[in-house]
Amino acid sequence: MSERRPAPTVGQVVLGRRLQELREAAGIKREEAAQVLRVAPATVRRMEMAEVALKVPYVQVLLTTYGVPEEETAAFVALTEEANQPGWWQRFHDVLPEWFSLYVSLEGAAGLIRSYEPHFVPGLLQTEAYARAVMDAGTIGQTGPETIERHVSLRMARQGLLERDNPPHLWVIMDETVLRRPVSIHGEVMREQLDKLLEFGERDRVTLQVAEFENGPHPGTYAPFSLFRFTEPELPDMVFTEYLTGALYLDSRTEVSAHLEVLDHMTAHAASAQRTKKILRDYRETF
Amino acid sequence: MTGSEAAPTRIDTSRPHPARVYDWWLGGKDNYPVDEELARRILAVDATALRGARANRRFMHRATRTTAEAGIRQFLDIGTGIPTEPNLHQVAQGVAPDAKVVYADNDPIVLRHAEALLHGSAEGSTEYVHADVRDPDTILRLAGETLDFTQPVALSLVALTHYLGDATDGDDVYGLIKRYVDVLAPGSYLVMSQVTPDLNPEAIAKAAEHFRRSGTPFYPRSLAEFSRFFDGLELLGPGVISVYGWRPDPVDVAAQAEGIVPLYGGVARKA
Repeated sequence: MSERRPAPTVGQVVLGRRLQELREAAGIKREEAAQVLRVAPATVRRMEMAEVALKVPYVQVLLTTYGVPEEETAAFVALTEEANQPGWWQRFHDVLPEWFSLYVSLEGAAGLIRSYEPHFVPGLLQTEAYARAVMDAGTIGQTGPETIERHVSLRMARQGLLERDNPPHLWVIMDETVLRRPVSIHGEVMREQLDKLLEFGERDRVTLQVAEFENGPHPGTYAPFSLFRFTEPELPDMVFTEYLTGALYLDSRTEVSAHLEVLDHMTAHAASAQRTKKILRDYRETF
Repeated sequence: MTGSEAAPTRIDTSRPHPARVYDWWLGGKDNYPVDEELARRILAVDATALRGARANRRFMHRATRTTAEAGIRQFLDIGTGIPTEPNLHQVAQGVAPDAKVVYADNDPIVLRHAEALLHGSAEGSTEYVHADVRDPDTILRLAGETLDFTQPVALSLVALTHYLGDATDGDDVYGLIKRYVDVLAPGSYLVMSQVTPDLNPEAIAKAAEHFRRSGTPFYPRSLAEFSRFFDGLELLGPGVISVYGWRPDPVDVAAQAEGIVPLYGGVARKA
């Protein structure tokens, strides 16, 4: 289990992509780059796709081959070293699927996170009891109570993000279903959860909107997804979407843009942040 | 709360939207491929588009700072656009933390972005009005929930009037601006900027054609035409001028070396 390489961090993904851009800008084929390194072309591809960690000596040779100026090479190498440091979440490697490590890494690197949540309160805003109830219901088969507790701890650790000095802006659109389907038969679990949403909704860096039933169908009626935006102007947005057995990361302009457009339509369709507070208070009374 | 709860409307994002085209020129990420396509197409015929957008943004910063420093504590910004740091309320509240700012835009997506991302100082207030510039009654009524129109207000329409036509084109932009100015208290300010064909007429004609073809009418105005917006008001020095020449900061002086910027700007006081 510990043999396995940790999932790539955002830094690795971004650097890999940058490496590919620099190669293409220099008009060099993967095969040619591979010859310079004396490796198989597939190795260059895996470096660019962040499927393997970038090795500094390789990076230096490639950047020289691509004619990258010295200062940029130095900066690139420094970033490579930094990106190869394991994140805090690696200590949860026992319960953290590889695809989710990247998610946690994205969450930590983003300046803005826009999410659509059709079923549950988003993980970053869940109470411990709510998180436990969701995991109890959602895990099928072999998972024991210890594993569930580890998952709950991980989720709670992730929430440290919103307490940092310069937290990302979290902008969530929840379907009204989230409020109609209690995760526990104990009313206090939902009451506590709604209190937490109301409390976080007061923060400048948190925007909550509920997509109400009465407004009819909206263009996001598929799976939950999140769009991550980084403060660096040269980094493109990334979209993360989950399915039963894994997740997809999308970063092509076309796909990211389609998700951005859906989020924009939904934000106009859903109740305003102000009205959402009233909706949350009203639901709180029902539990 | 002035944020209206309009019934869900059909929003068309299959066509480029001026606010998102402008966002692309400013290097923002809140635009779609159709917006990027138009932004690039215009840039290809009018090389001033990028620096024009940036120079216009900086004009808004300086004009806002100037009016705040002159004692204005109430701001009404019509045609807010996609948030880009620093935003108007940040400049105003940077000078006067108790400044009240109302943003108005007719596009529900643009407005929700403003609502989510623009949070004012604790002492001041920042509100959002969903209404069209062509509907002064609604804008003034909703803005009046936050602003006191018996006291001076800085009214800004930055890079907006080139999307509005004259009386013959149905918008009557001069009559419209007059209706806003008429309700302002003495001591209020009018801040405006817009595209002109005076400096690079062929390029602007082509850019205007691209806007029109994408469904956005576009009306560049000459110096005399733009100056008419300020009739009856006292223009602050240096008067109506290319935006980068309006009380330039060192960064604006440096940017002048990049070449002309075909936008006029002006700030005037109501006596």
